[in-house]
Amino acid sequence: MSSPWKDPAWRAEFRRGFLDMMPAFPGILAWGLVTGVAMVKSGMPVPYALLMTALAYAGSAQLASLPLIAAAAPVGVIGLTALVTNLRFVIYAAAIRTWLWTYSARRRALIGYLTGDFSFVLFMARIGREGAFPHRDAWLLGTTVANWVAWQGSSVLGIVAAAFIPTEWGLQFAGTLALVALVVPLCRQRAGAAGALAAGVVAMIGHAWPFKSGLLAGVVVGIVVATFVDETTTTPVAEPGA
Amino acid sequence: MTELSPVELILAIVSVAISTLVTRAGLLVFGERLTLSHRVDTALRFAPACALTALIVPEVLYPAGVLELSMANPRLPATIIAAIFLLWRQSIIGAIVIGMIVYGLIRFAL
Repeated sequence: MSSPWKDPAWRAEFRRGFLDMMPAFPGILAWGLVTGVAMVKSGMPVPYALLMTALAYAGSAQLASLPLIAAAAPVGVIGLTALVTNLRFVIYAAAIRTWLWTYSARRRALIGYLTGDFSFVLFMARIGREGAFPHRDAWLLGTTVANWVAWQGSSVLGIVAAAFIPTEWGLQFAGTLALVALVVPLCRQRAGAAGALAAGVVAMIGHAWPFKSGLLAGVVVGIVVATFVDETTTTPVAEPGA
Repeated sequence: MTELSPVELILAIVSVAISTLVTRAGLLVFGERLTLSHRVDTALRFAPACALTALIVPEVLYPAGVLELSMANPRLPATIIAAIFLLWRQSIIGAIVIGMIVYGLIRFAL
């Protein structure tokens, strides 16, 4: 990461990415705090909770694994549940990969590990507006580092101060509202709205499916429905890379 | 206290971490030879809208693991009002503030 950092234009995009993530901070901070508290309140000793925050870096998978850890489920079941909860990230990676081939494998690995829901949605939105803009690795990394700092800081605070933060505050709902803020503009087009509706219905039906598989099923069905609506309502146009 | 032994607990944590790394970075690092059809690549544009909704819906409608479709579930009116606000003004912070106020008021009133 040392060589691109010397390029002022690269640094400017990184900074811009960091700042573009800031509006989501209240949601990320609340969510990180709640996840930190939830880990400790589920009975996990503080050092292990800190280790999980530092390494796992995936709120939904962490929260999905907590009841299983508390119930002393087999490690394989815990790992499989986290894997299925995280499988939507494979779809994210498939969506962003073509825009990142020009960068080194090491940088792609770092970007990939750090790119969660918020960074992915913001990146796809900017790519949709501007196409392959220059220094997109820097901008995307800027958003992910901002997300990482906010998440890790608030998670550690939640772990350390768990005894003083009642879960009844309902703080995690702030994180949900941040996601709502990202999804509403995506539903302005008919195809996006249809896909979201289908994904929501499947997520409802599958909310109690094993290994949190309802989430992945919702994403896949939603994408299929959105594509169907898109192809039947718009005339196909050739759009190379746009 | 959890009943997993320290070793099992560390293995569980590491398995969650590996699932994050593999799902997020796997295709970006090793997927160069994977070529998807133009149709699939186009379809992936809709991944954000679908993934976000699939994350949101259980959080709003199943606050305690049970379906709460009535307006007495404070998350439902709060989400609807935040969404209406967002149609008018695209502000993440505004949506969080308004949604949390509605959520808090209804919880306080009930």
